[in-house]
Amino acid sequence: MRERITSLTRSNTDLVWLVALLLVLLVAYQHYDSTLFTPASVTILSAQFLPLILAAAGQTTVMLLGGIDLSLGAVLGLAMAVFATYEAQGAGGVVTAAVLALGVAGATGAVNGALVAYAGLPPIVVTLAASFLWSGVTLVVLPQPGGHVPAGLVEAYNNGWYGVALPVVAITVVLAGWKLVRTTRHGLALYAVGGNEHGAYASGLHTRGVKIGGYALAGVFTGLAGIGLAIQTGSADPTIGTPYTLNSIAACVLGGISFFGGVGRMRGTVLGALLIGLLTNLLLFTGISPFYQLIVQGVILVVALALKTYVTREATA
Amino acid sequence: MNVRSVRGAVAVAASLCALVAVAACDVQSGSDTADSGASASPVAAKSLKVGWSTIYLTPSWMQQTLKMLESDVSKLRSAGKVSSFKTFNANGDTSQQISQIRAMIQQKYDVILVDAGSSTALNPALEQAEAAGITVVAFDSLPTTTKVIRVGTDQKKWGSMTATWLAKKLNGKGSIIAMNGPAGVAVSEDRWAGAAAVFKKYPGIKIVSNVHSEYNLAPAAQAFASAYSAHPDIDGVFSQGGALSAAALQTLVKQDKKLVPITGENYNGFLKQWQAEKKNGFSSFSTAQPNYLSVIALEAAVAAREGVSVPQDVTVPLPEITDDNLSAYVKTDQPDDSYPITDLPQAEIDKLIGK
Repeated sequence: MRERITSLTRSNTDLVWLVALLLVLLVAYQHYDSTLFTPASVTILSAQFLPLILAAAGQTTVMLLGGIDLSLGAVLGLAMAVFATYEAQGAGGVVTAAVLALGVAGATGAVNGALVAYAGLPPIVVTLAASFLWSGVTLVVLPQPGGHVPAGLVEAYNNGWYGVALPVVAITVVLAGWKLVRTTRHGLALYAVGGNEHGAYASGLHTRGVKIGGYALAGVFTGLAGIGLAIQTGSADPTIGTPYTLNSIAACVLGGISFFGGVGRMRGTVLGALLIGLLTNLLLFTGISPFYQLIVQGVILVVALALKTYVTREATA
Repeated sequence: MNVRSVRGAVAVAASLCALVAVAACDVQSGSDTADSGASASPVAAKSLKVGWSTIYLTPSWMQQTLKMLESDVSKLRSAGKVSSFKTFNANGDTSQQISQIRAMIQQKYDVILVDAGSSTALNPALEQAEAAGITVVAFDSLPTTTKVIRVGTDQKKWGSMTATWLAKKLNGKGSIIAMNGPAGVAVSEDRWAGAAAVFKKYPGIKIVSNVHSEYNLAPAAQAFASAYSAHPDIDGVFSQGGALSAAALQTLVKQDKKLVPITGENYNGFLKQWQAEKKNGFSSFSTAQPNYLSVIALEAAVAAREGVSVPQDVTVPLPEITDDNLSAYVKTDQPDDSYPITDLPQAEIDKLIGK
């Protein structure tokens, strides 16, 4: 009970800190772009941030299990390629394409999970190998940038559908879905297995099944990110996913997800991903030299992490 | 409790620091706004706010491109046609490049130049910029959208003209290794498509290995070395990039092997080696993705703003470097990692952009 309370305090301190940082960024952003809080800007920005948020959600699921997913960028590219390559004509076609892409992405996750759970291989090795495998498969599916997403969908997604920001809806639905999953036996088991695998096994959980399920769920999140990116860009590109691997890890770590598993919250991840997205955009506005932008970005991330760790250390100790 | 309040104080102080840092950035932006304020006055109303978004800025080709672009900017600035110029580097991340273009739309740029990281992914963002009244000109690595002006070379022709030279040089028969750029990248795929169509017409030519690598010397050298060790009896190399050609030639020279013909690009390291090995019987045929594409792109944008009807596709002819005119291109006093090519005369540029 006591542990539960401390853990609760800690994640809350995390979140408060992140929200404060986010507010600072928003104020600065508002200064450069006074249209920030208009529906049009919200739609554009959310369309831009959605892929990273969803990718980070996938990464979070794996990290909660104590793993790390290096194949995320490759799977994202694969899902994107499958989605845009499939005859995406008409509404029925889009849904079929999405189901197909999510199925493929979920399956790649399940394979990772099975290898980790049954072969006992370290997640970092399994997912590294998987990253080569799936980027190769992606090139078979789509040898060069192309594919097609219905123009109406691209338009509605990027510029709003009757004033509704579809990406925001998507993120809300995913978060609500995650909250539901968390309340189920499987969701709780995810935390238990990630936090203390032996303990979880001893208390009668099917730890291997939980792992496979968790990795598959991560695959589905990654697939959603790929679909989002395909709709945002109106096409697919086999090599576009790569940066998402490391960016998603950065968003998770910033959001307070532990590398050791079992600790962290999805809303922290969402805040982390938002912070990274806003920060990169903000640096574009400041107009400092492109090389310094990278330096500033790195320094701010490290300082933010270090400060957050410092502020919350009391709770951890 | 006490410790906690100290930590709280630290957090507050840190946030303040962050605010100060942001405020420091404000100073810079303050001067920017002053600039744009000045440009709003009727006299300077025509000078344009120009931004360039590029997928990479670090390669030496990009650095040279930027330099040419900057010198043209300063020329246009003193002519009162351009008021400001900014470069954005996406560092290989196409999603970030989309953010850059959206940021430029929000900041009301007049002209966006773009060197695209993906031939398809930027289309919606670029079309949105066009719809917002911004003149968008893409160059070098082009997007597929037909709504923007595209300044480039014919990549398929690049592949076919160099492949034709190689096929003829080998009298239509022999084994060759093909050195291509990264798989899945449009430029690389297009050049190869052009070359593959030519090789199909020469059944005597056998492609024993088709290698993909980055357009960089080190990875290309590794890729070529492993392909070559598996097929040491080749009669030629089709290469679609200067660093790739240099890597292949270097390997042959280092291993003291027969110097087979290798196609190339105006990468100074390769041209220097070519000249040095010419007396040993080495022969090549090279072309170039000229750095002045950036200048043509900017001139096209300015012309379009001035009401000139610039063609949607500006195809810049590919230069031809042969054994005979090599000495006019190679710059022995310059580093390997440079791309020797001289400016295109203004008259030629004007002709290309329909002035």
